[in-house]
Amino acid sequence: MKKLIPILLLTFLIGYFASCEKDDICVDGDTPLLVIGFFDAIDTTLSKDVPALRIKEIILDSIVNTITDRSSSLDSIVIPLRIDATSTSFAFITNSADDAETEAETGDIDTLTINYESREAFVSKACGFVGNYDNLSITLPESDDNWIQDITIVQQTIENSTNIHVKIFH
Amino acid sequence: MSRYFTSLFVIFLCFSAFGQDKPIDLQPKDTIEYKQEYGLRVGIDLNRPLLSFLDEDYTGFEIVGDYRLTQKMYLAAELGNEEKTLFEDVGNSPLYNYTSSGSYIKLGIDMNTYENWYGMNNAITVGGRYAFSSFSQTLNEYTIFDSNRFFNPDGFLVGAQEGEEFSGRSASWLEFVLGLKAELFANIYVGMSARLGFLITNSEEERFPNLWIPGFNRITDGSNFGVSYNYSISYFIPLYKKSKKKKEEVPEEE
Repeated sequence: MKKLIPILLLTFLIGYFASCEKDDICVDGDTPLLVIGFFDAIDTTLSKDVPALRIKEIILDSIVNTITDRSSSLDSIVIPLRIDATSTSFAFITNSADDAETEAETGDIDTLTINYESREAFVSKACGFVGNYDNLSITLPESDDNWIQDITIVQQTIENSTNIHVKIFH
Repeated sequence: MSRYFTSLFVIFLCFSAFGQDKPIDLQPKDTIEYKQEYGLRVGIDLNRPLLSFLDEDYTGFEIVGDYRLTQKMYLAAELGNEEKTLFEDVGNSPLYNYTSSGSYIKLGIDMNTYENWYGMNNAITVGGRYAFSSFSQTLNEYTIFDSNRFFNPDGFLVGAQEGEEFSGRSASWLEFVLGLKAELFANIYVGMSARLGFLITNSEEERFPNLWIPGFNRITDGSNFGVSYNYSISYFIPLYKKSKKKKEEVPEEE
């Protein structure tokens, strides 16, 4: 009996430690959002806010939920990308406003198409799979009245949202 | 001088031998020796068939056995097959579920630490095992976790390669075993054991790691430890008898 007690205690101890699982809550990862930074077209190191920026996804025709709509104090934004497609198009609208009578958009619209290859990645037991993006590229139709002057892709592979992936100069 | 003492000692020793020539034995020794039975004990785990019956996501069985080597040491082994489907969720949204299926073998020794009373054959064992499992994992259903619900407001997007099987996986681990065995009826034993496993090798790919290994149980992120247990019923097949070696008793000097 004397020997039984420490053995039983040890058994309980093992069971106790085994029942605490740290990986029940997903904190390790998420499908990343595309991080875009806005910079001055002349002094390219200087970040520059976009006046009354509105971003609309083309297919859904709805305003993205990750930024404050028509805010004038954004020098960097995050936008979601479609995981089940190879491209996502957005209308980047500057000086966005509604016409008083027709309620039509009066701002300057530049439509950007973001192309990529999406990839499924297993993050952890609690999070399961997330989407990652490879070979990022962005096309902007040539036009004289584009407010966007230039686009630079800083990072082609997107696995997290911690740093700027794309720089837009205006 | 020392020589003198030595020879004197030898002489005394002779006398003492003569003195002990015909001792008056006040406590005659029991000449009937209790012989311990040695043999093979085979049985099955009770917990796994019960779980198979109760839990629709689990099927499994395990054969247990041990062979007595010495007074205290037993060669022990377990052989089993398990299949389990596990589900992972975030809140109420299902993330993925997978089925892990395969066989395992565990080999090692058990040391009985229990001093039995006359005629009893119970055991409290401390032991170790080397275990190997060969299995496959099938990713039945999965979704892409995305906390942004802009494109998929109603739930996570369903993964592209559902039903993918990852076969030919293997793992090996060391196990620390604490066990109890009690003789319920003649030659019928019931036992239980708790096991702490430490994973040594684990073949896996980045695409989908091993999360549940047959015989080892659940794998915790960032840890090589796993816990399992069994409840067994087994039958002892006696093969031969051997008497217990008497401990050399130091004769008390009077």
